[in-house]
Amino acid sequence: MTSPVLHLERAAFAYGATLVVQDVTIDVMPGEAVALIGPNGAGKSTVLKGILGLVPLTAGNMQRSASVASLPQSAELDPEFPITLRQVVMQGRYRSMGWLRMPGGRDRSAVASALEAVGLADRAGTRFGDLSGGQRQRGLLARALASEPGLLLLDEPFNGLDQSNRDALLQTVHDLKARGIAVLISTHDLDLARETCDTVLFLNRSQLACGPVAETLTLEIVQECFGDVGVEVDEHTLVVPDHEGRE
Amino acid sequence: MSLDQMLFGAYALPFMSRALVAMLALALVAGLIGVLVNLRGLEFISDGLTHAVFPGLAIGFVAGGEPGLVIGATVAAVIAAVVLTLVSRAGVASDSAIAIVLTGAFSIGVLVVSGGSDFAGQLETLLFGRLLTIDAETIPLLLTVCALALALAWGTRSRQLFRAFDPVGSEAAGVKPLATDLVLNVSIALVVVAASSTVGSLLVLAVLIVPGAVARLVTTSLLALFPIAAAFAALASWLGLSIGFGVSVGAGVDLPGGSTVVAVFVAGYALVLVGRLLVDRARGRAIRGAGAGAPQRSVADAGGVVA
Repeated sequence: MTSPVLHLERAAFAYGATLVVQDVTIDVMPGEAVALIGPNGAGKSTVLKGILGLVPLTAGNMQRSASVASLPQSAELDPEFPITLRQVVMQGRYRSMGWLRMPGGRDRSAVASALEAVGLADRAGTRFGDLSGGQRQRGLLARALASEPGLLLLDEPFNGLDQSNRDALLQTVHDLKARGIAVLISTHDLDLARETCDTVLFLNRSQLACGPVAETLTLEIVQECFGDVGVEVDEHTLVVPDHEGRE
Repeated sequence: MSLDQMLFGAYALPFMSRALVAMLALALVAGLIGVLVNLRGLEFISDGLTHAVFPGLAIGFVAGGEPGLVIGATVAAVIAAVVLTLVSRAGVASDSAIAIVLTGAFSIGVLVVSGGSDFAGQLETLLFGRLLTIDAETIPLLLTVCALALALAWGTRSRQLFRAFDPVGSEAAGVKPLATDLVLNVSIALVVVAASSTVGSLLVLAVLIVPGAVARLVTTSLLALFPIAAAFAALASWLGLSIGFGVSVGAGVDLPGGSTVVAVFVAGYALVLVGRLLVDRARGRAIRGAGAGAPQRSVADAGGVVA
Protein backbone atom coordinates (compact mmCIF):
# COMPACT_ATOMS: atom_id res chain seq x y z
CA MET A 1 0.00 0.00 0.00
CA THR A 2 1.65 3.23 -1.11
CA SER A 3 1.08 6.34 0.92
CA PRO A 4 -0.19 9.59 -0.57
CA VAL A 5 2.27 12.30 -1.54
CA LEU A 6 -0.26 14.88 -0.42
CA HIS A 7 -2.97 14.51 2.18
CA LEU A 8 -5.49 17.32 2.69
CA GLU A 9 -8.32 16.90 5.17
CA ARG A 10 -10.93 19.65 5.46
CA ALA A 11 -8.12 22.07 4.75
CA ALA A 12 -8.82 25.81 4.75
CA PHE A 13 -6.41 28.46 3.48
CA ALA A 14 -6.64 32.16 4.29
CA TYR A 15 -4.68 35.37 3.82
CA GLY A 16 -4.84 37.07 7.22
CA ALA A 17 -8.46 37.23 8.27
CA THR A 18 -9.80 36.66 4.75
CA LEU A 19 -10.80 33.04 4.33
CA VAL A 20 -10.26 32.14 0.70
CA VAL A 21 -11.03 28.48 0.44
CA GLN A 22 -12.16 25.74 2.81
CA ASP A 23 -13.12 22.11 3.20
CA VAL A 24 -10.60 20.71 0.75
CA THR A 25 -10.11 16.98 1.23
CA ILE A 26 -8.01 14.80 -1.05
CA ASP A 27 -5.28 12.17 -1.05
CA VAL A 28 -2.98 12.46 -4.03
CA MET A 29 -1.10 9.24 -4.81
CA PRO A 30 2.24 8.91 -6.61
CA GLY A 31 1.77 9.05 -10.37
CA GLU A 32 -1.76 10.41 -10.06
CA ALA A 33 -2.88 13.44 -12.05
CA VAL A 34 -5.51 15.61 -10.42
CA ALA A 35 -7.40 18.45 -12.10
CA LEU A 36 -8.38 21.31 -9.83
CA ILE A 37 -11.41 22.83 -11.53
CA GLY A 38 -13.33 25.98 -10.76
CA PRO A 39 -14.22 29.41 -12.07
CA ASN A 40 -12.07 32.51 -11.60
CA GLY A 41 -11.80 33.45 -7.95
CA ALA A 42 -12.73 29.93 -6.85
CA GLY A 43 -9.50 29.68 -4.87
CA LYS A 44 -7.58 27.32 -7.18
CA SER A 45 -4.35 29.30 -7.01
CA THR A 46 -4.77 29.73 -3.27
CA VAL A 47 -4.95 25.97 -2.78
CA LEU A 48 -1.76 25.55 -4.83
CA LYS A 49 -0.02 28.29 -2.85
CA GLY A 50 -1.27 26.73 0.36
CA ILE A 51 0.27 23.40 -0.62
CA LEU A 52 3.55 25.23 -1.31
CA GLY A 53 3.35 26.85 2.12
CA LEU A 54 2.92 30.37 0.74
CA VAL A 55 -0.63 30.79 2.13
CA PRO A 56 -1.23 29.64 5.69
CA LEU A 57 -3.37 26.64 6.51
CA THR A 58 -6.01 27.91 8.95
CA ALA A 59 -8.05 24.78 9.59
CA GLY A 60 -7.90 21.06 8.88
CA ASN A 61 -4.83 19.00 8.13
CA MET A 62 -2.17 18.96 5.46
CA GLN A 63 0.63 16.43 5.09
CA ARG A 64 3.20 16.49 2.31
CA SER A 65 5.33 13.39 2.13
CA ALA A 66 7.20 14.35 -1.04
CA SER A 67 8.99 17.46 -2.21
CA VAL A 68 6.67 19.84 -4.03
CA ALA A 69 7.59 21.93 -7.07
CA SER A 70 5.45 24.39 -8.96
CA LEU A 71 5.25 25.94 -12.40
CA PRO A 72 4.51 29.66 -12.19
CA GLN A 73 3.06 31.78 -14.97
CA SER A 74 6.13 32.82 -16.95
CA ALA A 75 4.40 36.10 -17.88
CA GLU A 76 5.15 37.38 -14.38
CA LEU A 77 8.92 37.21 -14.89
CA ASP A 78 11.07 40.06 -16.18
CA PRO A 79 12.21 39.08 -19.70
CA GLU A 80 15.16 41.50 -19.45
CA PHE A 81 16.69 39.75 -16.47
CA PRO A 82 20.24 38.75 -17.44
CA ILE A 83 19.98 35.03 -16.81
CA THR A 84 20.40 31.99 -19.04
CA LEU A 85 17.96 29.12 -19.28
CA ARG A 86 20.53 26.86 -17.61
CA GLN A 87 20.82 29.27 -14.66
CA VAL A 88 17.02 29.37 -14.31
CA VAL A 89 16.81 25.58 -14.27
CA MET A 90 19.64 25.46 -11.71
CA GLN A 91 17.38 27.43 -9.36
CA GLY A 92 15.36 24.23 -9.12
CA ARG A 93 18.33 22.67 -7.33
CA TYR A 94 18.35 25.44 -4.75
CA ARG A 95 16.76 23.38 -1.98
CA SER A 96 19.18 20.51 -2.26
CA MET A 97 22.34 22.63 -2.35
CA GLY A 98 24.33 23.43 0.76
CA TRP A 99 24.29 26.74 2.59
CA LEU A 100 26.63 28.40 0.11
CA ARG A 101 24.53 27.07 -2.79
CA MET A 102 27.48 25.93 -4.85
CA PRO A 103 26.21 23.60 -7.58
CA GLY A 104 27.90 20.20 -7.74
CA GLY A 105 28.07 17.49 -10.38
CA ARG A 106 24.75 15.98 -9.31
CA ASP A 107 23.07 19.38 -9.63
CA ARG A 108 24.50 19.86 -13.11
CA SER A 109 23.36 16.44 -14.31
CA ALA A 110 19.85 17.00 -12.86
CA VAL A 111 19.68 20.29 -14.77
CA ALA A 112 20.86 18.63 -17.98
CA SER A 113 18.31 15.83 -17.76
CA ALA A 114 15.48 18.26 -16.90
CA LEU A 115 16.35 20.32 -19.99
CA GLU A 116 16.42 17.10 -21.99
CA ALA A 117 12.98 16.13 -20.68
CA VAL A 118 11.37 19.33 -21.95
CA GLY A 119 13.31 19.29 -25.24
CA LEU A 120 15.37 22.40 -24.60
CA ALA A 121 18.84 20.91 -24.10
CA ASP A 122 20.16 22.85 -27.10
CA ARG A 123 18.92 26.19 -25.69
CA ALA A 124 20.62 25.94 -22.29
CA GLY A 125 22.93 28.89 -22.88
CA THR A 126 20.22 31.16 -24.30
CA ARG A 127 19.10 34.16 -22.28
CA PHE A 128 15.77 33.25 -20.69
CA GLY A 129 14.07 36.39 -22.01
CA ASP A 130 15.11 35.54 -25.58
CA LEU A 131 13.10 32.31 -25.56
CA SER A 132 9.56 32.21 -26.94
CA GLY A 133 6.65 32.20 -24.48
CA GLY A 134 6.12 28.49 -24.85
CA GLN A 135 9.82 27.76 -24.44
CA ARG A 136 9.94 29.87 -21.28
CA GLN A 137 7.05 27.87 -19.89
CA ARG A 138 8.91 24.65 -20.71
CA GLY A 139 12.06 26.12 -19.17
CA LEU A 140 10.20 26.78 -15.93
CA LEU A 141 8.84 23.25 -16.10
CA ALA A 142 12.44 22.05 -16.41
CA ARG A 143 13.29 24.10 -13.30
CA ALA A 144 10.47 22.34 -11.43
CA LEU A 145 11.66 18.93 -12.71
CA ALA A 146 15.27 19.66 -11.73
CA SER A 147 14.17 19.70 -8.10
CA GLU A 148 13.14 16.04 -8.57
CA PRO A 149 9.71 16.59 -7.01
CA GLY A 150 7.24 13.96 -5.86
CA LEU A 151 4.39 16.36 -6.57
CA LEU A 152 4.26 18.98 -9.29
CA LEU A 153 1.76 21.84 -9.17
CA LEU A 154 0.75 23.43 -12.47
CA ASP A 155 -1.26 26.66 -12.26
CA GLU A 156 -3.31 27.15 -15.45
CA PRO A 157 -0.35 25.83 -17.44
CA PHE A 158 -2.09 25.75 -20.80
CA ASN A 159 -3.13 29.40 -20.91
CA GLY A 160 -1.66 31.17 -23.89
CA LEU A 161 0.18 28.14 -25.25
CA ASP A 162 0.05 27.34 -28.94
CA GLN A 163 -0.90 23.85 -30.09
CA SER A 164 2.64 22.46 -30.34
CA ASN A 165 3.70 23.70 -26.91
CA ARG A 166 0.40 22.48 -25.52
CA ASP A 167 0.99 19.01 -26.97
CA ALA A 168 4.55 19.01 -25.62
CA LEU A 169 3.29 19.92 -22.14
CA LEU A 170 0.60 17.21 -22.28
CA GLN A 171 3.25 14.68 -23.25
CA THR A 172 5.42 15.80 -20.34
CA VAL A 173 2.51 15.35 -17.93
CA HIS A 174 2.04 11.80 -19.23
CA ASP A 175 5.78 11.11 -18.82
CA LEU A 176 5.76 12.46 -15.27
CA LYS A 177 2.87 10.21 -14.31
CA ALA A 178 4.71 7.25 -15.80
CA ARG A 179 7.71 8.13 -13.59
CA GLY A 180 5.50 8.10 -10.51
CA ILE A 181 5.35 11.86 -10.08
CA ALA A 182 1.95 13.17 -8.96
CA VAL A 183 0.63 16.21 -10.81
CA LEU A 184 -1.96 18.71 -9.63
CA ILE A 185 -3.23 20.95 -12.44
CA SER A 186 -5.48 23.95 -11.91
CA THR A 187 -7.56 24.59 -14.99
CA HIS A 188 -10.98 25.61 -16.20
CA ASP A 189 -10.56 23.49 -19.31
CA LEU A 190 -12.74 20.45 -18.68
CA ASP A 191 -11.72 18.80 -21.90
CA LEU A 192 -8.12 18.86 -20.82
CA ALA A 193 -8.99 17.54 -17.39
CA ARG A 194 -10.70 14.56 -18.95
CA GLU A 195 -7.82 13.93 -21.33
CA THR A 196 -4.94 14.02 -18.85
CA CYS A 197 -6.25 13.52 -15.34
CA ASP A 198 -7.35 10.58 -13.25
CA THR A 199 -9.13 12.61 -10.64
CA VAL A 200 -11.06 15.87 -10.64
CA LEU A 201 -11.61 18.20 -7.71
CA PHE A 202 -14.31 20.84 -8.17
CA LEU A 203 -13.77 23.97 -6.18
CA ASN A 204 -15.68 27.18 -5.67
CA ARG A 205 -14.53 28.70 -2.38
CA SER A 206 -15.04 25.25 -0.91
CA GLN A 207 -14.78 21.76 -2.32
CA LEU A 208 -17.89 20.71 -4.25
CA ALA A 209 -16.84 17.26 -5.39
CA CYS A 210 -13.79 15.08 -5.74
CA GLY A 211 -13.40 11.71 -7.38
CA PRO A 212 -12.43 9.74 -10.49
CA VAL A 213 -12.94 11.63 -13.73
CA ALA A 214 -15.40 9.12 -15.18
CA GLU A 215 -17.80 9.39 -12.24
CA THR A 216 -17.28 12.92 -11.07
CA LEU A 217 -17.02 15.02 -14.21
CA THR A 218 -20.75 15.38 -14.81
CA LEU A 219 -22.91 18.14 -16.22
CA GLU A 220 -24.66 18.64 -12.87
CA ILE A 221 -21.50 19.29 -10.92
CA VAL A 222 -20.09 21.49 -13.66
CA GLN A 223 -23.21 23.64 -13.57
CA GLU A 224 -23.13 23.78 -9.80
CA CYS A 225 -19.49 24.82 -9.86
CA PHE A 226 -19.64 27.39 -12.62
CA GLY A 227 -23.10 28.75 -11.81
CA ASP A 228 -24.98 30.46 -14.60
CA VAL A 229 -22.27 30.20 -17.20
CA GLY A 230 -23.58 28.27 -20.17
CA VAL A 231 -22.09 24.84 -20.56
CA GLU A 232 -22.06 23.06 -23.88
CA VAL A 233 -22.09 19.33 -23.77
CA ASP A 234 -21.80 17.14 -26.78
CA GLU A 235 -20.58 13.63 -27.31
CA HIS A 236 -16.92 14.59 -27.33
CA THR A 237 -16.32 17.60 -25.22
CA LEU A 238 -17.42 19.48 -22.20
CA VAL A 239 -16.47 23.11 -22.58
CA VAL A 240 -17.00 26.18 -20.49
CA PRO A 241 -17.30 28.71 -23.27
CA ASP A 242 -15.58 32.03 -23.05
CA HIS A 243 -15.33 31.98 -19.32
CA GLU A 244 -12.21 34.12 -19.19
CA GLY A 245 -12.48 35.75 -22.54
CA ARG A 246 -11.03 32.68 -24.15
CA GLU A 247 -12.07 29.12 -24.52
CA MET B 1 52.72 67.64 -13.93
CA SER B 2 53.30 64.56 -16.07
CA LEU B 3 50.58 62.01 -16.68
CA ASP B 4 52.77 59.36 -15.12
CA GLN B 5 53.14 61.41 -11.96
CA MET B 6 49.40 62.01 -11.79
CA LEU B 7 48.37 58.38 -12.35
CA PHE B 8 51.15 56.63 -10.39
CA GLY B 9 53.55 58.99 -8.69
CA ALA B 10 50.85 60.65 -6.63
CA TYR B 11 50.27 57.45 -4.67
CA ALA B 12 53.74 57.63 -3.12
CA LEU B 13 52.20 60.27 -0.86
CA PRO B 14 50.72 58.60 2.25
CA PHE B 15 47.43 60.54 2.13
CA MET B 16 46.94 59.58 -1.51
CA SER B 17 47.73 55.90 -0.96
CA ARG B 18 45.34 55.82 2.01
CA ALA B 19 42.66 57.40 -0.11
CA LEU B 20 43.29 54.87 -2.87
CA VAL B 21 43.13 51.87 -0.53
CA ALA B 22 39.89 53.13 1.06
CA MET B 23 38.35 54.04 -2.26
CA LEU B 24 39.30 50.75 -3.97
CA ALA B 25 37.90 48.67 -1.13
CA LEU B 26 34.68 50.67 -1.17
CA ALA B 27 34.35 50.67 -4.95
CA LEU B 28 34.90 46.93 -5.31
CA VAL B 29 32.41 46.05 -2.60
CA ALA B 30 29.87 48.66 -3.66
CA GLY B 31 30.22 47.57 -7.27
CA LEU B 32 29.47 43.94 -6.45
CA ILE B 33 26.61 44.75 -4.08
CA GLY B 34 25.38 47.33 -6.58
CA VAL B 35 24.77 44.57 -9.14
CA LEU B 36 22.41 42.93 -6.67
CA VAL B 37 20.78 46.30 -5.95
CA ASN B 38 20.27 46.82 -9.68
CA LEU B 39 18.81 43.37 -10.28
CA ARG B 40 16.56 43.61 -7.23
CA GLY B 41 15.47 47.14 -8.20
CA LEU B 42 16.42 48.44 -4.75
CA GLU B 43 17.85 51.81 -5.82
CA PHE B 44 15.28 53.77 -3.86
CA ILE B 45 15.61 51.74 -0.67
CA SER B 46 19.37 52.19 -0.96
CA ASP B 47 18.82 55.92 -1.13
CA GLY B 48 16.70 55.62 2.00
CA LEU B 49 19.47 53.73 3.76
CA THR B 50 22.10 56.34 2.91
CA HIS B 51 19.98 58.87 4.78
CA ALA B 52 18.85 56.58 7.58
CA VAL B 53 22.45 55.82 8.52
CA PHE B 54 23.13 59.53 8.86
CA PRO B 55 22.07 60.00 12.53
CA GLY B 56 24.40 57.15 13.49
CA LEU B 57 27.23 58.86 11.67
CA ALA B 58 26.45 62.12 13.42
CA ILE B 59 26.22 60.60 16.90
CA GLY B 60 29.37 58.55 16.37
CA PHE B 61 31.25 61.57 15.05
CA VAL B 62 30.18 63.90 17.84
CA ALA B 63 30.88 61.28 20.52
CA GLY B 64 34.09 59.69 19.27
CA GLY B 65 35.67 61.56 16.40
CA GLU B 66 36.53 59.66 13.25
CA PRO B 67 37.03 56.17 14.72
CA GLY B 68 33.76 56.66 16.61
CA LEU B 69 32.15 57.59 13.33
CA VAL B 70 32.69 54.13 11.85
CA ILE B 71 31.52 52.28 14.96
CA GLY B 72 28.50 54.54 15.55
CA ALA B 73 27.54 54.36 11.94
CA THR B 74 27.82 50.57 11.87
CA VAL B 75 25.41 50.24 14.79
CA ALA B 76 23.05 52.79 13.23
CA ALA B 77 23.30 51.12 9.85
CA VAL B 78 22.23 47.75 11.15
CA ILE B 79 19.34 49.29 13.09
CA ALA B 80 18.30 51.40 10.09
CA ALA B 81 18.44 48.44 7.73
CA VAL B 82 16.31 46.30 10.02
CA VAL B 83 13.76 49.08 10.62
CA LEU B 84 13.56 49.95 6.94
CA THR B 85 13.15 46.30 5.92
CA LEU B 86 10.41 45.71 8.49
CA VAL B 87 8.59 48.99 7.78
CA SER B 88 8.62 48.41 4.04
CA ARG B 89 7.01 45.00 4.59
CA ALA B 90 4.45 46.13 7.16
CA GLY B 91 1.77 46.94 4.64
CA VAL B 92 2.59 50.63 4.40
CA ALA B 93 3.28 51.49 0.78
CA SER B 94 6.98 50.81 0.48
CA ASP B 95 7.95 54.13 -1.05
CA SER B 96 6.22 56.25 1.55
CA ALA B 97 7.68 54.14 4.33
CA ILE B 98 11.17 54.67 2.97
CA ALA B 99 10.59 58.38 2.49
CA ILE B 100 9.35 58.76 6.08
CA VAL B 101 12.27 56.86 7.59
CA LEU B 102 14.68 58.69 5.30
CA THR B 103 13.69 62.24 6.15
CA GLY B 104 13.08 61.47 9.82
CA ALA B 105 16.51 59.95 10.30
CA PHE B 106 18.19 62.67 8.33
CA SER B 107 16.70 65.43 10.46
CA ILE B 108 17.80 63.64 13.64
CA GLY B 109 21.33 63.52 12.25
CA VAL B 110 21.36 67.23 11.47
CA LEU B 111 19.99 68.03 14.94
CA VAL B 112 22.78 66.00 16.56
CA VAL B 113 25.51 67.68 14.53
CA SER B 114 24.07 71.14 15.06
CA GLY B 115 24.65 70.78 18.83
CA GLY B 116 28.44 70.66 18.36
CA SER B 117 30.89 73.35 17.35
CA ASP B 118 31.75 73.97 13.68
CA PHE B 119 28.33 72.82 12.49
CA ALA B 120 28.93 73.57 8.82
CA GLY B 121 32.32 71.89 8.71
CA GLN B 122 31.11 68.73 10.43
CA LEU B 123 28.02 68.50 8.28
CA GLU B 124 30.07 68.88 5.13
CA THR B 125 32.48 66.18 6.26
CA LEU B 126 29.64 63.75 6.91
CA LEU B 127 27.73 64.50 3.75
CA PHE B 128 30.60 64.75 1.29
CA GLY B 129 33.33 62.72 2.96
CA ARG B 130 36.97 63.48 3.63
CA LEU B 131 38.67 61.15 1.22
CA LEU B 132 42.03 62.92 1.29
CA THR B 133 42.30 63.26 5.06
CA ILE B 134 41.47 59.73 6.26
CA ASP B 135 43.46 58.76 9.39
CA ALA B 136 45.69 55.73 9.18
CA GLU B 137 43.74 54.18 12.09
CA THR B 138 40.48 54.43 10.20
CA ILE B 139 41.68 52.30 7.27
CA PRO B 140 41.53 48.90 9.06
CA LEU B 141 38.05 49.76 10.33
CA LEU B 142 36.89 50.63 6.83
CA LEU B 143 38.38 47.46 5.38
CA THR B 144 36.64 45.41 8.08
CA VAL B 145 33.27 47.01 7.35
CA CYS B 146 33.76 46.47 3.60
CA ALA B 147 34.75 42.83 4.13
CA LEU B 148 31.67 42.26 6.31
CA ALA B 149 29.36 43.81 3.72
CA LEU B 150 30.96 41.73 0.96
CA ALA B 151 30.72 38.50 2.96
CA LEU B 152 27.01 39.08 3.64
CA ALA B 153 26.09 39.89 0.04
CA TRP B 154 28.38 37.37 -1.66
CA GLY B 155 27.45 34.55 0.71
CA THR B 156 23.77 35.00 -0.12
CA ARG B 157 24.08 35.92 -3.80
CA SER B 158 22.27 32.82 -5.12
CA ARG B 159 19.33 33.61 -2.87
CA GLN B 160 19.42 37.29 -3.83
CA LEU B 161 19.50 36.48 -7.54
CA PHE B 162 16.76 33.87 -7.27
CA ARG B 163 14.56 36.32 -5.35
CA ALA B 164 15.34 39.09 -7.82
CA PHE B 165 14.33 36.94 -10.78
CA ASP B 166 11.30 35.21 -9.31
CA PRO B 167 10.08 36.42 -5.88
CA VAL B 168 7.18 33.96 -5.65
CA GLY B 169 9.02 30.99 -7.11
CA SER B 170 12.00 31.53 -4.85
CA GLU B 171 9.80 31.69 -1.78
CA ALA B 172 8.11 28.47 -2.84
CA ALA B 173 11.57 26.92 -3.18
CA GLY B 174 12.48 27.88 0.36
CA VAL B 175 14.17 31.27 0.03
CA LYS B 176 13.16 33.25 3.11
CA PRO B 177 12.13 36.68 1.83
CA LEU B 178 12.54 38.61 5.08
CA ALA B 179 15.93 37.14 5.93
CA THR B 180 17.15 37.62 2.36
CA ASP B 181 16.07 41.27 2.31
CA LEU B 182 17.55 41.91 5.75
CA VAL B 183 20.94 40.55 4.76
CA LEU B 184 21.08 42.62 1.57
CA ASN B 185 19.88 45.80 3.27
CA VAL B 186 22.38 45.40 6.11
CA SER B 187 25.17 44.92 3.59
CA ILE B 188 24.04 48.05 1.70
CA ALA B 189 23.98 49.94 4.99
CA LEU B 190 27.54 48.77 5.73
CA VAL B 191 28.64 50.11 2.36
CA VAL B 192 27.09 53.44 3.31
CA VAL B 193 29.12 53.35 6.52
CA ALA B 194 32.34 52.64 4.66
CA ALA B 195 31.49 55.40 2.20
CA SER B 196 30.75 57.97 4.86
CA SER B 197 34.43 58.56 5.55
CA THR B 198 35.41 58.51 1.91
CA VAL B 199 32.91 59.99 -0.53
CA GLY B 200 30.35 60.91 2.12
CA SER B 201 26.85 59.70 2.79
CA LEU B 202 25.22 61.73 0.01
CA LEU B 203 27.51 60.67 -2.82
CA VAL B 204 27.71 57.01 -1.88
CA LEU B 205 24.63 56.28 -3.94
CA ALA B 206 26.65 56.89 -7.11
CA VAL B 207 29.33 54.41 -6.03
CA LEU B 208 26.62 51.88 -5.23
CA ILE B 209 24.40 52.31 -8.29
CA VAL B 210 26.62 53.36 -11.19
CA PRO B 211 28.89 50.27 -11.53
CA GLY B 212 25.90 47.89 -11.63
CA ALA B 213 24.11 50.08 -14.17
CA VAL B 214 27.25 50.22 -16.33
CA ALA B 215 27.59 46.44 -16.20
CA ARG B 216 23.93 46.05 -17.26
CA LEU B 217 24.68 48.22 -20.30
CA VAL B 218 27.74 46.21 -21.25
CA THR B 219 26.61 42.60 -20.82
CA THR B 220 23.56 40.37 -20.55
CA SER B 221 25.58 37.64 -18.87
CA LEU B 222 24.84 37.24 -15.18
CA LEU B 223 28.34 36.02 -14.37
CA ALA B 224 30.02 38.84 -16.29
CA LEU B 225 28.04 41.54 -14.47
CA PHE B 226 30.04 41.22 -11.26
CA PRO B 227 33.61 41.48 -12.61
CA ILE B 228 32.60 44.29 -15.00
CA ALA B 229 30.98 46.30 -12.21
CA ALA B 230 33.97 45.78 -9.93
CA ALA B 231 36.49 46.63 -12.65
CA PHE B 232 34.60 49.77 -13.61
CA ALA B 233 34.36 50.86 -9.99
CA ALA B 234 38.07 50.32 -9.37
CA LEU B 235 39.13 52.05 -12.57
CA ALA B 236 36.85 55.03 -11.99
CA SER B 237 38.07 55.37 -8.39
CA TRP B 238 41.70 55.39 -9.44
CA LEU B 239 41.09 57.82 -12.30
CA GLY B 240 38.96 60.07 -10.11
CA LEU B 241 41.62 60.29 -7.41
CA SER B 242 44.34 60.88 -10.00
CA ILE B 243 42.41 63.62 -11.77
CA GLY B 244 41.59 65.29 -8.45
CA PHE B 245 45.27 65.21 -7.53
CA GLY B 246 46.44 66.37 -10.94
CA VAL B 247 44.07 69.31 -11.06
CA SER B 248 44.60 70.34 -7.44
CA VAL B 249 48.38 70.14 -7.45
CA GLY B 250 49.08 70.83 -11.12
CA ALA B 251 46.53 73.54 -11.86
CA GLY B 252 46.07 74.86 -8.35
CA VAL B 253 42.30 74.39 -8.44
CA ASP B 254 41.29 72.74 -5.19
CA LEU B 255 38.96 69.84 -6.05
CA PRO B 256 37.27 67.84 -3.24
CA GLY B 257 38.45 64.22 -3.56
CA GLY B 258 35.17 62.39 -3.04
CA SER B 259 33.16 64.56 -5.39
CA THR B 260 35.78 64.25 -8.13
CA VAL B 261 35.67 60.48 -7.87
CA VAL B 262 31.87 60.48 -8.05
CA ALA B 263 31.96 62.82 -11.05
CA VAL B 264 34.25 60.33 -12.83
CA PHE B 265 31.81 57.51 -12.01
CA VAL B 266 28.94 59.44 -13.55
CA ALA B 267 31.00 60.54 -16.56
CA GLY B 268 32.05 56.92 -17.09
CA TYR B 269 28.41 55.89 -17.04
CA ALA B 270 27.56 58.58 -19.60
CA LEU B 271 30.38 57.36 -21.87
CA VAL B 272 29.27 53.74 -21.69
CA LEU B 273 25.67 54.80 -22.30
CA VAL B 274 26.64 56.71 -25.44
CA GLY B 275 28.75 53.75 -26.57
CA ARG B 276 25.84 51.43 -26.04
CA LEU B 277 23.50 53.69 -28.02
CA LEU B 278 25.99 53.82 -30.90
CA VAL B 279 26.42 50.03 -30.89
CA ASP B 280 22.64 49.56 -30.85
CA ARG B 281 22.24 51.97 -33.74
CA ALA B 282 25.00 50.31 -35.76
CA ARG B 283 23.48 46.89 -35.13
CA GLY B 284 20.02 48.14 -36.05
CA ARG B 285 21.41 49.50 -39.31
CA ALA B 286 23.25 46.24 -40.05
CA ILE B 287 20.10 44.25 -39.45
CA ARG B 288 17.93 46.55 -41.56
CA GLY B 289 20.61 46.35 -44.24
CA ALA B 290 20.45 42.56 -44.17
CA GLY B 291 16.69 42.74 -44.36
CA ALA B 292 16.19 40.76 -41.16
CA GLY B 293 13.45 41.69 -38.73
CA ALA B 294 14.88 40.43 -35.48
CA PRO B 295 13.89 42.61 -32.53
CA GLN B 296 16.76 44.61 -31.06
CA ARG B 297 17.43 45.17 -27.44
CA SER B 298 17.46 48.84 -26.64
CA VAL B 299 19.33 50.71 -23.96
CA ALA B 300 16.17 51.08 -21.92
CA ASP B 301 15.67 47.31 -22.04
CA ALA B 302 19.13 46.75 -20.70
CA GLY B 303 18.44 48.75 -17.57
CA GLY B 304 20.17 51.79 -18.96
CA VAL B 305 18.07 54.23 -17.00
CA VAL B 306 19.30 54.75 -13.48
CA ALA B 307 16.61 55.50 -10.94
